Amino acid sequence: MKFGVFFEISVPRPWGPETEYTVYQNCLEQARLADELGFDQAWAVEHHFLEEYSHCSAPEVFLTAVAMQTERIRVGHGIVTCVPEINSPVRAAERAAVLDLVSGGRLEFGTGRSATWTELGGFGANPDETKKTWDEFVRVIPKLWTRERFGYEGRAFSMPERTVLPKPYQKPHPPMWVAVTSPGTEIDAAERGLGSLGLSFGGVAEQAKKIAAYRKRIQSCDPVGEFVNEQVNTVSFLYCHEDLERGARTGQLLAGTFNYLAEQTLSTRQAFPTPSYHTPGLLQALRRESSSGPEGRVPEGLTVGDPEHVARAVRRWEEAGVDRINFLLNVMETVPQEEVLASMRLFAREVMPRFAEPHAEAERAAASAAGG
Amino acid sequence: MPLTGARDLAAAAADAPLLASLDTEPWELRGALHLQLHFELGGEGRTDLLPPALHPSIPPTLLVNVTHAPESDAGPFTLATVRVGCRAGARPRGLLLRGACDSPAAIAALRGRWGFPLELAAVSLRAGYAHAACEVALDGAPVLAGELIDPQPITGADVQYLATLALARVERDGAERTRLVQIDPDYVFHRAQRGRPRLTAFAPDAWGLPGARAAHPVSASLTTVDLTLPRLRYLIDPERPPLKAVERLPGAD
Repeated sequence: MKFGVFFEISVPRPWGPETEYTVYQNCLEQARLADELGFDQAWAVEHHFLEEYSHCSAPEVFLTAVAMQTERIRVGHGIVTCVPEINSPVRAAERAAVLDLVSGGRLEFGTGRSATWTELGGFGANPDETKKTWDEFVRVIPKLWTRERFGYEGRAFSMPERTVLPKPYQKPHPPMWVAVTSPGTEIDAAERGLGSLGLSFGGVAEQAKKIAAYRKRIQSCDPVGEFVNEQVNTVSFLYCHEDLERGARTGQLLAGTFNYLAEQTLSTRQAFPTPSYHTPGLLQALRRESSSGPEGRVPEGLTVGDPEHVARAVRRWEEAGVDRINFLLNVMETVPQEEVLASMRLFAREVMPRFAEPHAEAERAAASAAGG
Repeated sequence: MPLTGARDLAAAAADAPLLASLDTEPWELRGALHLQLHFELGGEGRTDLLPPALHPSIPPTLLVNVTHAPESDAGPFTLATVRVGCRAGARPRGLLLRGACDSPAAIAALRGRWGFPLELAAVSLRAGYAHAACEVALDGAPVLAGELIDPQPITGADVQYLATLALARVERDGAERTRLVQIDPDYVFHRAQRGRPRLTAFAPDAWGLPGARAAHPVSASLTTVDLTLPRLRYLIDPERPPLKAVERLPGAD
């Protein structure tokens, strides 16, 4: 099991002259600490116009700063919105290649298509088309990275033959992922040999079924890239505190605030009737699951509470087949920065070592039970 | 936290329906034709149209809805509303301050049982293969004209309608109070089409929405539905903060 941090970069009103600066600096500090503590990845979303919820519209710039201030942690560009009105596939490939070069080959490349009318409508994109354009982007971008010269006549875009430069540092190219929020997208990911990023719908048991379907399907995939990235990433909130009740309460406050903000945006489904968007928007499953626990109890799989509780939640994800968990550390600066950093340190000290090797604890427990 | 409305609804509430009872039986309207024109709302004052209990959606929206019920206990009628898309806490809703209907009997039922703030008007909804059009005239003056153009078939599963928050007066704590009455109909879809929306006439003051402007088209849909107006479940005190504004009525599921 690997662990990462996941930046939405939510900025609370009122927006004073220093507010966005402070939030960005806090996120950079969290990324630096994550690197020191042994977290494996730092992901940053791409969102536009989502007031308060996410001010992370240029993640490649933020991630470049992360890469320059860290030594080891991988940088997750996730997700790049594969909609031509928002991103040119050529520009996306170029930016990603530069980020991979300057980070010394630490890029993870996530793809997706946006879930809100707030964003799609803001760029004049047609929601009917985004699944198709995403499919075209993920097939073209690896070729832009790996072929010396490439020309293309397609549906979403066309270009005469050119040499797209620079090429990524990682060879043949960085690992590719797809954001999985809609049911069935995990199969889209598997069929294309892509990693599954944020497979966050349904409870843990439900997710285990989806992961099993993903693992099975990817065995016979037709990879869009030069290699198959068979990995499952999920997203959760992290608030780890010595006191279970305080940790759980604060963690659930993070989840509730996140839900509340997400619902203020206009989901594509609400605005534009289309078969292309049958899910209700931003990380809807994460939001539902994070608030669906029985009265007074932390929902299953939500990584908040004391180290024991957090470790149990991580173990549930591990048993479900998840390879990596990325943690949302704060929402709207609800938790003071020092407490966020303390939560990360406590997690790294008390929880992370238990997952240093696959099923290490389970194997130890089994050995112990067997008298070994 | 998200922006909240800044509007005092006291003046608008003066003409709002008075609900004698909140214990309303459901009303099914079979085979209704329903047109929705969805726009982004223009103007700087996105909090000016909403009371403090509501958040503007991001972006703020304007929803034109026209329903033709070919049969009902009150006879056939056509109902038109213009709502502001908003959020009651985290819930998507449409604020309704004034609407129009062409049937006195239907107005009596809809005002008295659900708090629809309706006035008698000439309301029409015409649907053809190439487009659907609606018109509303108050005292002979056009206050709304719009259409769905370039329809294409979709399914009812693709459509999501917002519940309404209707401005009404109710008795609470022994006194008459202004409240927003949540009306969240059930829909059984028989046919659905989507197209582009266009407004050719819109008088915002007639709908209790001074300064409102349909700035950017979002979508239009035309559906044939069995629509059931439900029992009342929630009231919102428009003056209270969003997280303290909702009152759950007895028997609400």
